Amino acid sequence: MATETQSPPSGTPQTAQRARKPRRLVTALPYLAPALLLYLYFLVYPMLDSVRLSFFKWSGFRTDVPEFVGLANYVRMFTADPVFWTAARNTIFWVILTLAVPMVLGLLLALGLNRQMAGRNLMRSIFYIPSVFASITVAAMWRWIYNPTLGLVNQALEQVGLGSWAQTWLGDPKIAIYSVFVASIWQAVGFPLVLFLAGLQSVPQELVEAAKIDGANALQVFRNVTLPALKPTTVVVVILTIINSLKVFDLIVGMTGGGPAQSTQVLALWSYTQSFANHQFGAGGAVATVLLVISLALVVPYMLWSLKGQDK
Amino acid sequence: MTASAISEGLTLEKGGARRRRRVDFPGLALWISLVVTSLLWALPFLIMFLTSVKSNADINQNPAWALPQQWDWSNYVRAFEIGKLGITGLNSMLIAVIKVPMGLLLSAACAFALARLRFRRSKALLGFIAIGSMVPVQIGLGPLFNTMLTLDLLDSKMGLILPYLAFGIPYQIFVLYGFFRAIPDELEESARMDGASTFRIFWQVILPLAKPALAALFILDFVATWNEYAMATTLLRSQGNWTVPLAVQSFSTQWGTEYGPLNAFIIMSAIPVLIVYLMFQRYFVSGALAGAVKG
Repeated sequence: MATETQSPPSGTPQTAQRARKPRRLVTALPYLAPALLLYLYFLVYPMLDSVRLSFFKWSGFRTDVPEFVGLANYVRMFTADPVFWTAARNTIFWVILTLAVPMVLGLLLALGLNRQMAGRNLMRSIFYIPSVFASITVAAMWRWIYNPTLGLVNQALEQVGLGSWAQTWLGDPKIAIYSVFVASIWQAVGFPLVLFLAGLQSVPQELVEAAKIDGANALQVFRNVTLPALKPTTVVVVILTIINSLKVFDLIVGMTGGGPAQSTQVLALWSYTQSFANHQFGAGGAVATVLLVISLALVVPYMLWSLKGQDK
Repeated sequence: MTASAISEGLTLEKGGARRRRRVDFPGLALWISLVVTSLLWALPFLIMFLTSVKSNADINQNPAWALPQQWDWSNYVRAFEIGKLGITGLNSMLIAVIKVPMGLLLSAACAFALARLRFRRSKALLGFIAIGSMVPVQIGLGPLFNTMLTLDLLDSKMGLILPYLAFGIPYQIFVLYGFFRAIPDELEESARMDGASTFRIFWQVILPLAKPALAALFILDFVATWNEYAMATTLLRSQGNWTVPLAVQSFSTQWGTEYGPLNAFIIMSAIPVLIVYLMFQRYFVSGALAGAVKG
């Protein structure tokens, strides 16, 4: 690759630039257009159409004409739909819990696995491989682990004499969401782990050595050298974790379908259920709009920060 | 789990400070706790494999961790039949093989225009595109269904590939923009002085330089495409068009779930992504972070 970069800068770039300038936007269009058209038609338009639909009452059947109802869908969602509030609470809960557990665990594992040690690569793979499995298959697999009679968890509890702790892990509205979350930790930890491992490559070793010579203890080195160097990585991991948490869908569909008694419902799934199972595209659109607003509120500040830095 | 992990983190730092000792006890403690944690992480895989080689009677009578009384590989054949892997696997492969390279090419072209052909408002346009990588796909599923119905593309591979492309593009453009931006101007200038057209600059100068990023995006995108569930379950109806993730539901009927074949199916369904992951592993870490992290 390096060999290709060796042609020396020749001539006067200024004149060349001036000669090219008028062609620029026209030259850019063929490169921009295919991606941009796909993006606009199959992503931006459906998103905005969800917002539009949220002001209509519509079953989704083609024979049925959408009827404009103003804010009625929103009023009903906020005042008369208890499932919406459960879903909103679970979604926020999911974001916070994912930031707290798999992300912190990923950081700790990355710190541990960053040292030279026997079996390091094998351990890295063991933690990472669950995250390349399809969530829907992970869900199926954990449903088996949680099976009340034949599953690993209850059988193991009985084996060690804690049979009374055995539960219907996915059938009890009070604990189902935690059960699903445990499966999510198992799958989710690899991603922050890999990103933090990459981030740890940027910790300046001279600084670590210098701090040690100056008598800093391990915790001080960690706080004053390692942690600041990990800051950019952490920002990325936090934002990606939030995005992934707002999207959580497959795991819930596969393990509980939102039940029992809607106790594991989340916004992404509730929007889907309202539209496709309950045939209320307007109500589904209203939930989608709330999710869109939350996503944008969390993501746009990061985008602005990130774009500002791109050219430096 | 968390408590033990925290103590791991602390022992790590102590171990680092005292590594000149002959026996590194904190380091050993760290190693042991990491090994224990990774064994715990590997346990679901072990159970999955054991279940996949047991007969139904064996599953019903013996503990999940027991070795199979008789190694029953026929579950893999059954999984192939129940999950229609011949059809679903081929569908998924076809979609991935078309979608992934094509998406990368379109993203690269767009990122090239944004990063290298300086027109006005290119950065605002980049921001507008990048936001698309961050909104949950479920928000647009209802209208997407209608769009596909209108275009007569519902329940077809083409009708899945197009939105897959649209949803893959934003993140790839965002990452590639960062890469293309970092390429020194002199390179492009000198190529242009030698008479290269814009297309040749894109194809023969810029794209080859972005190979590591393209390789990393290739894995990420292949894995994401192969595993995608929400859109596929919305837009595909007939079993003949199903992709692999949709076939999971075939294993549960109203009479119960066939756990042996199901676990065999889960293992087989992950083989392609594991192969791709192992093939491109060395690009993965660099690429996962590229463009997303400044400096």
